[in-house]
Amino acid sequence: MMNTMQHDANGTTSTRDYIRQRADQLRARRLAVSKVMIILCGAALVLTAIPLVVLIEQLIVRGVSQISWGFFTQLPQSPTLSAPNAVGGVSNAVVGTLALALYASIMAIPVGVLTGVYLAESDSKFAEAMRIVAQTMAGAPSILMGLFAFSVFVKYMHLGFTALAGAFALAVLMLPVVTISTEIAVRNVPSTLREAGLALGVKPHKVSLRIVIPSALSGIVTGSLLAIARAVGETAPVLLVIGGGYINEWRPLNPVSALPLSIFMGAKSVWPAQRAQVWGIALVLVAFVFILSLTARLWAGRSAKGRK
Amino acid sequence: MSNVSNDYAMQLTNVAVAFSGKTAVRDVTFNVAKNKVTSLIGPSGSGKTTLLRALNRLHDLSAGAVVSGQILLEGTDVYGGAISVTELRTRIGMVFQKPNPFPAMSIYDNVVAGLRFNGIKKKSILDETLERSLRQAAIWDSVESRLHVSAGNLSGGEQQRLCIARALALEPDVLLMDEPTSALDPIATLHIEELMSSLKERVTIIIVTHNMQQAARISDDCAFLLMGDDSAGELIEFGPTQKIFNDPNDKRTIDYIAGRFG
Repeated sequence: MMNTMQHDANGTTSTRDYIRQRADQLRARRLAVSKVMIILCGAALVLTAIPLVVLIEQLIVRGVSQISWGFFTQLPQSPTLSAPNAVGGVSNAVVGTLALALYASIMAIPVGVLTGVYLAESDSKFAEAMRIVAQTMAGAPSILMGLFAFSVFVKYMHLGFTALAGAFALAVLMLPVVTISTEIAVRNVPSTLREAGLALGVKPHKVSLRIVIPSALSGIVTGSLLAIARAVGETAPVLLVIGGGYINEWRPLNPVSALPLSIFMGAKSVWPAQRAQVWGIALVLVAFVFILSLTARLWAGRSAKGRK
Repeated sequence: MSNVSNDYAMQLTNVAVAFSGKTAVRDVTFNVAKNKVTSLIGPSGSGKTTLLRALNRLHDLSAGAVVSGQILLEGTDVYGGAISVTELRTRIGMVFQKPNPFPAMSIYDNVVAGLRFNGIKKKSILDETLERSLRQAAIWDSVESRLHVSAGNLSGGEQQRLCIARALALEPDVLLMDEPTSALDPIATLHIEELMSSLKERVTIIIVTHNMQQAARISDDCAFLLMGDDSAGELIEFGPTQKIFNDPNDKRTIDYIAGRFG
């Protein structure tokens, strides 16, 4: 102990000078490296932003001109040689997408929230296995859900093409998002709140239901909204099972249309007017998803402030 | 069931707590006198909080936690079958280190939470309990006009008094306090200490504190715990606070108290 201290005391002056010399030598180089890195980072940012900016610009430039009152209220028409621009509206796709989102939410959100609460509250092996399943499902290709719904509803149950099958495929897709965000929200509730409830003689299930879940509500709502936002934009799962159609259909056991499906069909059309309309549909879809995400964000922010 | 006496709110005999086979605190035997303040003191890791949480069975939820020995609440074995864990906790209230009001609830809902969630819905009883508990916690005057705002809007000291009111709402026999002032400023601490001396008329208080002066100021009896050689906490000495601080029997108590004051 004494030795090291003496050694330090003797070495102080020369070591300090050496450190300062080296620092001076290296300063110019460090500044140059720093400048280059900042430029590289900036370039990467621009590269990342370009596709997004161009995409949004195209969406707006090409999409806005397609939007009109009739776009939302009229049914699609088939253009003819005498009237090549008569494409009608996409009310069937709007109605279909809203119906699909509603049914999928009814299926996915309650189950997802309860599963998430279970995962957050249980340390069992089963819960651990379920968590891995949820995480794997979250990364699974969405076309798989479509194939699954197709084989169960269309083939095995002989229901034909239905909104229900599409909603089921979307619900399976939403489920892991809702589950994982609920689990995180519930885990983030401080354990002191749970203990406070237990210490008042409240039964454990009631503590979860009446104290923990309400405290996690903002996170649960945010996760559910994001799950809906993801589901309405998905094409692959609904492509195989909802059947499409050119009427305003919402009933669960009938074929319905959907915005992503209309984009898919319209983009393949031989009629330029129908291909142009696709941009309008895309704009509506993006706006819808954007509003959902924004609502989710505002909700999360509002509650975070309320808690402090 | 030996030595059951009506003068004691709680009686601890050879109490030990172990987590997954590792003993955290052991050999704790003392009686908690009714309508007195009993303090648990000792350095960090001596098992004060662990012991306190054994009294209202808060360890029940941690897997691998085992409480042995005997803990009696007015003669009833806390870990026996005669009293359910939820009933026990309505009779033994608890206030935590950090104020923990329910953030999603109003002041009103916080105070009556214990009653409501135990099935009492009658408005007249809830209203009456609300005012009584808030008055006992000496916070009625400052929150009377804003009973329906979120509890998160209160200051730290007010939140802690709200938590005391929430515990008192169930009219417990015993109130456990786990370093209730360690997150508070000196003024708020003083208010809580004053509150304790008025509260002991109606409820027996057991308080864990790091603050030796606080233990000396507010408690009637004092238990001194210390970490043993195998890092398990042990009860070194128990007695009237006056005696523990001025004329302790054990050398280790003398050292600890002298060290803290010196």
